Amino acid sequence: MRRINSSQVYRLVACFVLLCAMAAAQQKPIVLRGGKLLTVSHGAIENGVLVIENGKIAAVGAASSVKIPKDARLIDVTGMTVYPGLIDSETQLGLTEISAEEMTNDFIEPSEEIMPHMHVYDAFHAESELIPVTRYNGITNAVVAPGSRDTLPGQDSFVQLVGKSSEEMLLIRDIAMPLNFSGEQRRNQGPFDRRKFPSTRMGLAAQLRQAFLDAQDYAQKWADYEKKREDYEKGKSEPSAKSEDKEKDKGKEDKDKEAKKQPPSPPKHDLKLEALLPYLQGKKMIVLAADESNDLQVAVGLAKESNLKFVLNHISHSQSVLDYVASLKVPVIVGPIYEDPKPYERYDAVYSLPAELYKRGVKIAFASYDSHNSRNLPYQAGFASAFGLPYDEALRAITLNAAEIWGVADKLGSLDVGKTANVVVANGDPLDMKTDVKQVFIEGKEIPMTTRQTRLRDQYSGQ
Amino acid sequence: MFLRFPLSDRRFAASALFSLALIAVAAAAAAQDAPSAHNEVLIKNAVVMTATHGNIQNGSVYIKDGKIAAVGKDLSAPASATVIDAGGKYLTPGIVDSHSHIALDGDVNEATNPVTPQMMMIDAFDYQDKEIYHGLAGGVTTSLLLHGSANMIGGQAIVIKHKYGLGRDAMLFPGAPRSIKFASGENPKRVYGSKDQLPSTRMGNFEVQREALVQAQDYMREWDAYDAKVKNGDKDATPPKHDLKLDALADVLRGKLLVQIHCYRADEMLTEIAMAKEFGYKLRAFHHALEAYKVADQLAAAGVGIATFSDWWGFKQEAWDAIPWNAVMAMRKGVHVAIKSDSEDFARRLNQEAAKTMRYGGATEQEALQMITLNAAWIIGVEDRVGSIDVGKDADLVIWDGYPLSSYGVPNRVFIDGDVYFDRSLPGFGMPHYKEGM
Repeated sequence: MRRINSSQVYRLVACFVLLCAMAAAQQKPIVLRGGKLLTVSHGAIENGVLVIENGKIAAVGAASSVKIPKDARLIDVTGMTVYPGLIDSETQLGLTEISAEEMTNDFIEPSEEIMPHMHVYDAFHAESELIPVTRYNGITNAVVAPGSRDTLPGQDSFVQLVGKSSEEMLLIRDIAMPLNFSGEQRRNQGPFDRRKFPSTRMGLAAQLRQAFLDAQDYAQKWADYEKKREDYEKGKSEPSAKSEDKEKDKGKEDKDKEAKKQPPSPPKHDLKLEALLPYLQGKKMIVLAADESNDLQVAVGLAKESNLKFVLNHISHSQSVLDYVASLKVPVIVGPIYEDPKPYERYDAVYSLPAELYKRGVKIAFASYDSHNSRNLPYQAGFASAFGLPYDEALRAITLNAAEIWGVADKLGSLDVGKTANVVVANGDPLDMKTDVKQVFIEGKEIPMTTRQTRLRDQYSGQ
Repeated sequence: MFLRFPLSDRRFAASALFSLALIAVAAAAAAQDAPSAHNEVLIKNAVVMTATHGNIQNGSVYIKDGKIAAVGKDLSAPASATVIDAGGKYLTPGIVDSHSHIALDGDVNEATNPVTPQMMMIDAFDYQDKEIYHGLAGGVTTSLLLHGSANMIGGQAIVIKHKYGLGRDAMLFPGAPRSIKFASGENPKRVYGSKDQLPSTRMGNFEVQREALVQAQDYMREWDAYDAKVKNGDKDATPPKHDLKLDALADVLRGKLLVQIHCYRADEMLTEIAMAKEFGYKLRAFHHALEAYKVADQLAAAGVGIATFSDWWGFKQEAWDAIPWNAVMAMRKGVHVAIKSDSEDFARRLNQEAAKTMRYGGATEQEALQMITLNAAWIIGVEDRVGSIDVGKDADLVIWDGYPLSSYGVPNRVFIDGDVYFDRSLPGFGMPHYKEGM
């Protein structure tokens, strides 16, 4: 366990060093001048100036108050809107290319329901054509999650949507783990004789509880072993005591001798159970997914039994228990609000869910829950605002709220000095589909605004 | 159901007669179910987006007996008219969805034979399905409910108005032309290929289609020969055997059905155009048509429209070259372009899908609006009845909260034939003509 963690840390550090080196290589500061800055954290600034230096936001403010560096490259963005790169809180980007072509899909391991040792970073395809298409609309960061057909389908990664390799793009590996409890995880397809355990919610819950117990036993086994090993090491370094207690401690001494002779043997490694431990220890976050209120309450119960730290996901048809949701004091990744209403629901039951949660003081974020269509994330936020969610909160739900939920608000989610320069320049309201994104910066670098789709467009436009 | 078809009548396709009968029934039923055959409404103080002749600020629309009787700036209505003050909100034509599979309870594909033109979607129409309401609340007033794309030649569509809460027949669009669904590409070859049947390739696909059309030609010749004999007084002439499938295809060849073809790839569109020319029938539209931008000139020359997605792509190999500029690029070449749903979800927000064409390719506001109204009505063949705010057309209208071609447009009230079928301000489902449990 310790070994795995340290290698992960090593990789993160290596990644960080690489990014620093790249950022340092960038020379001239870039100044975006004259646009309307939607800072998200401290309101909108008309006729603003934003300075990008060494991949970071070096200054942000009104034109009159910001000093422009001498050697800077000035970009006039008069009439444009400038806002932080958008964050999609759940995508399958990098896990698929063509949905119907199974060989291009790496969503889910359906062989078992408890698969915490699956890591999306092992499948994440940096060269996917979907990634430029997504960032073309101003989405710069995303949580990549496995599919939802397993109770525990594996662990998410937090990515940046540009980079030469997955090493560069995977900013945080195993950032969180989904726990899905929506009924979809049941193995109840086909006739009865073809079904397997768990084919009911009872089965799913029992199986999950057993997995958590097994992981706790496993942790205990390792703790016992560590203790034994410690004793053994201690015994080896300390010469056996020649005290008057010798007689008294005869038995103990024999044991010590035994320990000295035979080092304790470690338990067998179990990647699956090991993967659960950071979550059972509350070190990492569970993304707890349920749709209907009954499932939601069972899922929360399961999470609480094992003291899991969690955020909620979807809760699309839980309108009847929103006060209960608020009482949990956890953020909700809501939607997608395009989820069809149930026959008993009013047409706008899901559309208005973000507003209803906001009214109750719940922090929300949006997710596309998609791959090819992840580019449409901002319009979901816009549409939620048409159903009562304040505009600023809608924008926040795809920027700063998301950054806070994912623990990256010190670097992302708003236009503030010191943050990573993930910045979008567009010709209007970021939440409206008529708005054209003109330029995306990621880590201060201008991203080429070309995709497979723009190339096809140009080819057949005779350009 | 077709057992009730008068077998003594040998000449006309069962389907044709049946449809005609249905429309008659529909008219009768509508009179019973509909709120009132007569209505008189003046909607005033609206930004009227006509879809044909620009916007009218402070505009009014006068509705009489379900039709648009006047459109203009300062209309006065008789004292008998109900006056609705739109409060400066936008007013558009009702949205027309030119490709839908809602309210069919999953009976979209008779995927047991690649040629099933005798399938009638009316037989699966679940008029109580809430999906009709969901579309209505999104401003959709007319939908074309099509057979699926499993078969090279699928079944015959129905056109509905979203009068949720009324009876089945009252929801049918009276007098709408008949459409038939064809398909091509991956779906037929996947469905039958997976069973080791013909077709499992694009060669197989088109062979199956050709074979069916050739049979229909032979069938027509047999009947023509028989007719000639009868005409010449041959009393011993025996009529050929009736075949519902070939009757329907004969109607295709006679130009009695609008041919709506599910087709993604450019090369297949060209093949379909060539085959239609060879057999002498006309194509109405390619549906999905995600590669239309590659052959837009040829589509325009053939007079074939497209009913496409705004930006959906990559869900299968034949959708890999989809680009969101497709709709506008094709439109600029003179193709009739509609944005359609093909999805219960998109049917609820086609206005937003249309708005995307303003960004991708720079459609004007009116062009974008036409893609979900007038052009969609053209695809279905009801463009003289609905799809714009013009005198004489059905009073299918939407008052919007917010600007309709944006993330913020939400229908406030939806009128069909001059009556309100959805009103956002009402509690519950927001439908005056529907009560839960009825």
